[in-house]
Amino acid sequence: MSGNDLLTIQGLHFAYPDIETPVFSDIDLSIADGEFVALVGGSGVGKSTLLRNVAGVIAPSGGQLSIAPAASRGSRDRAFVFQDTRLLPWRRIDANIDYGLTGLGLSKKQRRERIDEVLELTDMSAYRRRWPHAISGGQAQRIGLARALAVHPRLLLMDEPFSAVDALTRSRLQDELLTIWRRIGMAVLFVTHDIEEATYLADRVIVMRGAPAAIVRRETIACTRPRDRTAADFRALARDIADSL
Amino acid sequence: MARRGSRTAGAAASKTPVSRLRRIALGVAGLAAFIALWKCAFVFAWAPPGTLPDPFSIPAALVAEYTSGHLLPALGSSLIHYVWGLAVGTVAGFTVGLLAATSPAFDDVHHVLARILRPIPPLAWVVFAIAWFQVSHAGAAFVISIGVFWVNYFATAAGVAGVDPRFYELARAFGHGGFVARVTTVTLPGAAPGILSGMRTGVGQAWMTLIAAELLGVPGMGQQMNSAAGVGAYDAVVVYMLAISLIYSLSDGAFALIQNRVLRWRP
Repeated sequence: MSGNDLLTIQGLHFAYPDIETPVFSDIDLSIADGEFVALVGGSGVGKSTLLRNVAGVIAPSGGQLSIAPAASRGSRDRAFVFQDTRLLPWRRIDANIDYGLTGLGLSKKQRRERIDEVLELTDMSAYRRRWPHAISGGQAQRIGLARALAVHPRLLLMDEPFSAVDALTRSRLQDELLTIWRRIGMAVLFVTHDIEEATYLADRVIVMRGAPAAIVRRETIACTRPRDRTAADFRALARDIADSL
Repeated sequence: MARRGSRTAGAAASKTPVSRLRRIALGVAGLAAFIALWKCAFVFAWAPPGTLPDPFSIPAALVAEYTSGHLLPALGSSLIHYVWGLAVGTVAGFTVGLLAATSPAFDDVHHVLARILRPIPPLAWVVFAIAWFQVSHAGAAFVISIGVFWVNYFATAAGVAGVDPRFYELARAFGHGGFVARVTTVTLPGAAPGILSGMRTGVGQAWMTLIAAELLGVPGMGQQMNSAAGVGAYDAVVVYMLAISLIYSLSDGAFALIQNRVLRWRP
């Protein structure tokens, strides 16, 4: 593990109370600043649980988890993008984005600038005064991303963010995410069950398997971006990763 | 084409101007038929003699009640009971319901007591209202507040329990994990539809208990109805019934406006 690691996990272990078999145990993982890491595994293997441990919304049962502090005042160390978007239906789009900005010591004007900035990044400026029920699923997912980006996180945690949208929207959102990632340079931990998506997006793919789950493979993706999903080496690598699930 | 068709079928038929007019006309016809039936009952004496007023005498009775100085003081007195009973019952029911749904410790302590007290009808408390407050505004307001309390208590507790727990995870992930932040940014807005429909039920419930509470002798429309019936002035009784109906419609309509404003985020 190098010195510039943003996230360091050692021997992490999680079990639900009253359930004997832990969800996962002995997880070692580190993520460097600016790195894009995809976490794959079969459904129910515990990748989302691991992500929630990293997010700090549930507490691990044992092991070490440390994360570098936020880059500056007015930002958070990490932010979360949910599979189900989880926009608050009683807040307009701009107020949903503002949700993570309170308590960061930002002035009203600075918060408005942040909102403008991420709406522009996600190409959603025209929708800022809409209610969440009045936008599409793909647009809601963009707002979920914008809400997370607004807090200027060093580590963006994404839980199968594109699995509920249609294939066309998904591939567009994937490319937009890569563009934003290149522009901002935050680290990303991206959970998905879609091997092709992981191979297309990430610098490194981490495979989880078993009960309790363990990391069974760490694959650095050498293909240069933009990647071609139809290229023979891309397809061979994706198939090879799928075989290790 | 298909879109327009589905919109008409999906929403109430009264959305187009023509069908709305038709609905109003039919409503007026229904009212006229009822008054005609009432008039027949009066003319052919279907009820015991002297107990059914002539519907056409009601406007005159209204003027008489107004000019004799009975109507407005009774109305004002009833409104005092109504506003106080409604306010106290709503605030208390909301607070206790919120505590019951957010604090497991409070829920444990109070659930047996709530089970015992809940089935007691508000009017059963009239005896204690007289004993504690004598025949006073406070006594009538007390009885009204009990019915309103339970309506709001259950609506708030159910509304809070029905908030999608996934939003609490969101709150934790975005720095709103503390109790106050969680309650104000997730619990209350999420439970608002249930809480407000409970409050609106209370707005109606308060009128239902009001008249009965005033029959214990506190000045108000209930007492006026009772004394009018005592001297056989059933047309005056109807005047008070209509006054209650009118004020209920106004207060319910006003509340509906507030409700729609607060819940305008709903599709």
